[in-house]
Amino acid sequence: MSIYALNAVSKQYPGQSQAANDQISLTIHAGEIFGLLGDNGAGKSTLVKQMMNLERSSSGEITFYGRPLNDEPLRLTMQVGYMPQNHLAINQLTVGEAIYFTAHLRGLTRRDALAERERLLALWEIGPLRHKTSARLSGGESRLLQLAVAMAGSPPVLLLDEPTNELSPQRRKAVWENLRRLNQEAGTTIIFITHDAIEAEKIIQRVGILYQGRLVALGSASDLKKQIDQQLRLELFFSGANVPQLPAGLTPHVLAEGRWLLYIARDQVETLLITLDFQRINDFRLYSATLEDLYLHYALADTNTRPPTA
Amino acid sequence: MRSPTPIPAPLLRKPHPPFVQFIDLFLMEISNWRWSWRSIITTGMIAPMFSIIAIGLFARDSGAGATAYVLTGNVVLALMFTNMSRMASRFAYMRVAGTLAYYATLPIRRFALILASAVAFLTLSLPAVLFTILFGSYFLGIKLMPHPLLLMILLLCTLSLAGIGALIGTALRTMDAVLSVTQVLTFMLLALGPVLIPPEKLPPFMYWVGYLSPATYAASALRQTLLGGMTLRLWLDIGVLSGFCLFSFWLTGRKMDWRQD
Repeated sequence: MSIYALNAVSKQYPGQSQAANDQISLTIHAGEIFGLLGDNGAGKSTLVKQMMNLERSSSGEITFYGRPLNDEPLRLTMQVGYMPQNHLAINQLTVGEAIYFTAHLRGLTRRDALAERERLLALWEIGPLRHKTSARLSGGESRLLQLAVAMAGSPPVLLLDEPTNELSPQRRKAVWENLRRLNQEAGTTIIFITHDAIEAEKIIQRVGILYQGRLVALGSASDLKKQIDQQLRLELFFSGANVPQLPAGLTPHVLAEGRWLLYIARDQVETLLITLDFQRINDFRLYSATLEDLYLHYALADTNTRPPTA
Repeated sequence: MRSPTPIPAPLLRKPHPPFVQFIDLFLMEISNWRWSWRSIITTGMIAPMFSIIAIGLFARDSGAGATAYVLTGNVVLALMFTNMSRMASRFAYMRVAGTLAYYATLPIRRFALILASAVAFLTLSLPAVLFTILFGSYFLGIKLMPHPLLLMILLLCTLSLAGIGALIGTALRTMDAVLSVTQVLTFMLLALGPVLIPPEKLPPFMYWVGYLSPATYAASALRQTLLGGMTLRLWLDIGVLSGFCLFSFWLTGRKMDWRQD
């Protein structure tokens, strides 16, 4: 079942020569985790706002459960929890109030809204902040509150604009874990924008890549990676003086002092690992193309000649 | 991080009725002023007080009729125009800060938000209105004869221009433009018609044009319910003010777009 269907959606701001996004067509299915990647200014946030009916599309149509967004605006807002990129705008409320009022306005009874507040304060570990006003939160605390507010009332669809911005690595990991669990246990459809491609890869099921307002790739991460690249990545970590010897024909990319990246064919792996002198190597990491590689591949390609692949 | 209770099933529930939405939104809106309510109330008292002193010094020589206009005109100023101006500023701020976008993502009715914001401002302005009435009565030597309908008139006065304030705040691009337009509108509506100045002192043009201004009916209704001497004219005033309320909210509901583009 499709939740969202975007058909040739474009957004052109008055007085700007280039469209914020251009002819975007994609479908979001119920229960999936969909990631939207792209550079700054690629049009991701604008697209998400269009999907939340906060920005009007210049052309094209967005349907939600098969109906145009404007047909039943209250249905959209009952079903979708939205987390904007900027900080929470209801700064005058305390953390507890912000969650409670949002949950109650999403249709919970007062008692259920109170229980929902406690659940979300515990989930995001912001219970000690419950009486603190939102305006006085740190950047990371504010992001966690925004996540709690977006989830308040347990909407079946979440639209999250960079949910892990300003969070510590530990918090980022917890965010992805919580989102994955929410998807698995409640079947929540999660659509998010992120620059944190490596972390997001652990939960992402399908990905869309925007470049200069155009959707240049769409599909499952694994399928897209197969299409662009069959090579594996081997990262080598060594002490500055112990430079490893490589077989002829292999040229390392120097990532940092004592850290090389090699691109190798799958059938080279075994031979290479046998050849390498591990006395000189502190550690190594072998992996296939990442979402980041995928993004860089499409971002650097000529978008005019590359249609969406799925 | 952990999940102590099971995650509720996806919802099939409906939005709350508008009155329930209004209660929540009123509490959220009035919480904006949890730190600054003292200064808002104090400044709300100062402007009408000095206006009463300044205009009242001249009006006292013109008889009881003139001082009644000074008193009720200043209450109209405090209720209608201060609140309209605050509504405009509040909605302009909400648009810029993203608060309107937050509200737009919730299943609420626009008019519930406007009503909640207006009633929050009315609540905050009540001490200043009460002070204005008592100070004006003392300074101008006017005997008060309040009628219970006064409460309804106070509400109608506030709401009649609240929607217009919200509309100005969301339609205009900058805060400067919002302030300029509300100021011009305030002075225009106050000057046109017998609000602060008795009708016999007004040029005929301003007197007749005043019938188009809600402030004229607000001042008339306040004079009758605050100072006594209620006539059938009160029902005309109530009818027109109610009409302005409905028109203001209808117009806002149709024209106000809280989307960001």
